[in-house]
Amino acid sequence: MKKAGSTGVFIYNPPIAIPYPFDITEITCYLSSFPNVVRIWQYPDFPWSEKNLVKMITEHQLERLVIVGVLCGTVKTLFSKAMTLAGKNPRHVYLASFDEYGIELTKDLDRAKSLLAHMITDIPMEVNPAGIQPITQPATLVIGGGIAGIQAALEIAYSNNTVYLVEKSGTIGGKMATFDKTFPTLDCAACILTPKMVEVNQHPFINLMSYAEVQDINGSPGNYTVKILKKARKVNVQTCIGCGTCAEKCPAQEPSEFDFGTTMRKAIYIPFPQAVPNKYMIDAASCIYIKNGKCRACVKACPVPDCINLDEQDATVDINVGNIIVATGYKPFNASRMAEFGYGKFPNVLTSLEFERLLNASGPTGGNIHLRSQDKKGNWIFTADTPKPHRIAIIHCVGSRDKKNNKYCSRVCCMYSLKFSHLVMEKLSDAEIFEYFIDMRSFGKGYEEFYERIKSEEVEIIRGKTAKIEEKDGKLFIRGEDILKNDLIENVVDMVILSVGLEPSEDTAKLSAMMGIPISEGGWFNELSYDIEPTATIRGGIHLAGTCQGPKDIPDSVAQGSAAAAKVIRSILKGTVSQEHDFIPQEKIKSYLAEIEK
Amino acid sequence: MSVRLQPELRNQLIQFGIGDWNACYHCGTCTAICPLSEKGFLFPRNKIRLMQMGVKDELETSVEPWLCYYCGDCTKSCPRDANPGELMMSLRRYLTSKYDWTGLSRKFYTSGVWELGFILVFAALVVIAFLFLLPAYGFKFTTELTAQGGVQVNAFAPWEYIEIFDWSMAAVVALLLISNILRMYYKIIWKDGKTTVSIWTHIREFWLLIYNFVVQPRFSKCEDKNYWLSHWFLMSGYTIMFIVIVVYLEWFQTDEILPFWHPQRTLGYYATFGLLFGLFVAIIGRIRKKRIKFQFSHVSDWLFLIMLTLTVITGILIHIFRINGMAWATYISYIAHMAILVPMILIEVPFSKWSHLAYRPFAVYFQQLKKHAVPRKSNQ
Repeated sequence: MKKAGSTGVFIYNPPIAIPYPFDITEITCYLSSFPNVVRIWQYPDFPWSEKNLVKMITEHQLERLVIVGVLCGTVKTLFSKAMTLAGKNPRHVYLASFDEYGIELTKDLDRAKSLLAHMITDIPMEVNPAGIQPITQPATLVIGGGIAGIQAALEIAYSNNTVYLVEKSGTIGGKMATFDKTFPTLDCAACILTPKMVEVNQHPFINLMSYAEVQDINGSPGNYTVKILKKARKVNVQTCIGCGTCAEKCPAQEPSEFDFGTTMRKAIYIPFPQAVPNKYMIDAASCIYIKNGKCRACVKACPVPDCINLDEQDATVDINVGNIIVATGYKPFNASRMAEFGYGKFPNVLTSLEFERLLNASGPTGGNIHLRSQDKKGNWIFTADTPKPHRIAIIHCVGSRDKKNNKYCSRVCCMYSLKFSHLVMEKLSDAEIFEYFIDMRSFGKGYEEFYERIKSEEVEIIRGKTAKIEEKDGKLFIRGEDILKNDLIENVVDMVILSVGLEPSEDTAKLSAMMGIPISEGGWFNELSYDIEPTATIRGGIHLAGTCQGPKDIPDSVAQGSAAAAKVIRSILKGTVSQEHDFIPQEKIKSYLAEIEK
Repeated sequence: MSVRLQPELRNQLIQFGIGDWNACYHCGTCTAICPLSEKGFLFPRNKIRLMQMGVKDELETSVEPWLCYYCGDCTKSCPRDANPGELMMSLRRYLTSKYDWTGLSRKFYTSGVWELGFILVFAALVVIAFLFLLPAYGFKFTTELTAQGGVQVNAFAPWEYIEIFDWSMAAVVALLLISNILRMYYKIIWKDGKTTVSIWTHIREFWLLIYNFVVQPRFSKCEDKNYWLSHWFLMSGYTIMFIVIVVYLEWFQTDEILPFWHPQRTLGYYATFGLLFGLFVAIIGRIRKKRIKFQFSHVSDWLFLIMLTLTVITGILIHIFRINGMAWATYISYIAHMAILVPMILIEVPFSKWSHLAYRPFAVYFQQLKKHAVPRKSNQ
């Protein structure tokens, strides 16, 4: 193997650039372990003029220059020119750009070292010792059955390639399935989504695994072996006819996950009437038979023989796939973390997702807005017997744009809050609605127009977030500053909706460790390049779609689902998984260095 | 009416305390959480807006910074860590310097050299007066004790002379302070030129001034009510001591050692206790930084606390040494006491942190006047 010529390394970390995420001495120590590194310069000691550079190149007889750091491309021209003037090859100026290779966090130190090793030993990053990986498995795994996952799965399936769609809960559809209307078109969410869900279920190329989780991912790009835990549904999906007789007889009750705890479901249940697959399932945590060993009411009631098997155990299956699309979505911000709003303490302070269920025709009140009440067992649920609220306040930016919680803007809250105003006006004509916002972010196509429309609908839109909610005799007191009117408003309302932000779903960190995909600030999966590779990750063959990459609305999630699918289809057609951005593991570099030493 | 924006105001304000008012994105949480913010007198958010924009005229004529008692709720709830509580505190320092017409206040707040130099010069003058001036008039340091075994303080520093000095110093300080209050009154009530307040309102609402000075009821609206107690002890102790020393020095500074339950001694002990208690809470608080109002300390905050503590300690020492007949120790602590007290009063009361003893109650009074203000006829 060819040995790289004597190299000078420049560590470029000007004070204006983003500081290195790790200790610079570690980098310098690592660099000096290479035999061909002649000298290392740190930023303030750079020979800034051409003349000095040329002098230095000839003095140290440098054949190659490596510039290390963030945004180091900005100084490349100067160095290339100096190389020419010194009579060397100007192409031998190499950039070890941290930002281009996704080195952002402290734990990326290993990757930074790999990158430096490439540059110093003159192995171009593209030419991986492992070679271009042929794709051996045309099948694709989609993790997460929300709208992004569904879109991606359908795109790939319609190109006649096998897709495994793994969904953690009992039904696909994700958060969108819980919504009543979408903004800004006010389309019925279910009318758009449920046909797609059924399509997924019926598509011959899609292997739907609901109530399953990814446990382990092994292998290399193009040939991953994925271990999937199929949780015991205890109801045979093939034979269940979805009649619901079992649920009628089931004595155990639990708050419904699909309805965000706003209503009760049985231990044997179907998440919602349009669930896909439309088959019942048993929640082992609340089932009386599983806890006490007797009951079996559902088995006795079931008209299909051997359909319910209460002793069924979890099983694991291994599947081989070439590409993986991660579409794990988000979870709503836990509003009880902001104690000042009294969520969890005052029954009529709701989160936006609870209110979505309240608005939804398939929700607990059949789409009518009612105050929350307590059932016999003390659970706070929604029923259609309680009075309707007259004054409703919507508070924006709960848990978003807040240094104490999440710094980022969750992007969708402004628009869905406006949508709420409209839907409340539609359903309760005499209601008064107050929107407390900080900045109105109506950035998408048709969004600003939607905002204008809501403003014209006699919704009181107040600039100024409130600080605290207090309850007295079932009424909620809100004090807030009306910034545009320069006034203080003390408001009494019946119901408060907290427009909670988006957070990465629980398993994001686990999946990231499993797949070797970094997590960016805020906990979202890190894409390869925010601008030009929004779906790719540093791992070949693993793609991102939907909100798992960052907060986004339905149209963007769908677009990204299709985009990720395009990448997968490209790799299947080409027969290779793009390796451009993969890095070499440390062991390989060590063995390679040992070879050079010989 | 046009509003003049002065972005350079930022550079001026930054010298009066910490400040990152660009962090604020105007959500209004601070105003909403503030228990003292009320209709027509909104803060802290809109004051931060004025700071960001550099609306100097409106900032200088606002009464709101003095209505804030710094409970820290706004800082605690601020989603941007913009620290509105400390911004209001910085604004109060700035306003103190703006009310002062001599320009010394600004110097003291922004330059440690000026402040320290001033203290040292006046301390030196006091020491010189005691060492050379009074002896020149025939007063001596005598180790001869009274029949009770106490030190003859009045032989070395006769109360008549000290009182004359006290009165003249009080007159200077009062003159400065009153003129500053008049400037404050002009800025807050008259400068906007749109409204007028009747004389009857001035008289009717005057009780607020005394009530707020004595009781400080606005503290009770803040969530942290314990601080009111220690502040009140400090204030009452200081006021009693001030009255006793300036007005009744003949009665207070005696060579005779009076019985323990004599009002001269009990009042003195109460005032000392009050001062020590208040100072202890403030100093420990500023070290531990648990209360939000104590988390950020400007130089002027520490200087005030240190000087007041030293004054109290030297005062206690004078008393102990005097009744125990330790003549030289008494004289040294007396001179030290005066050398700290004089510059402290001269700096702190008219120019610095202590001026709030007047500005705070007056601000409540002015706020009430503003509430009753009617539009001026000539400007209609």
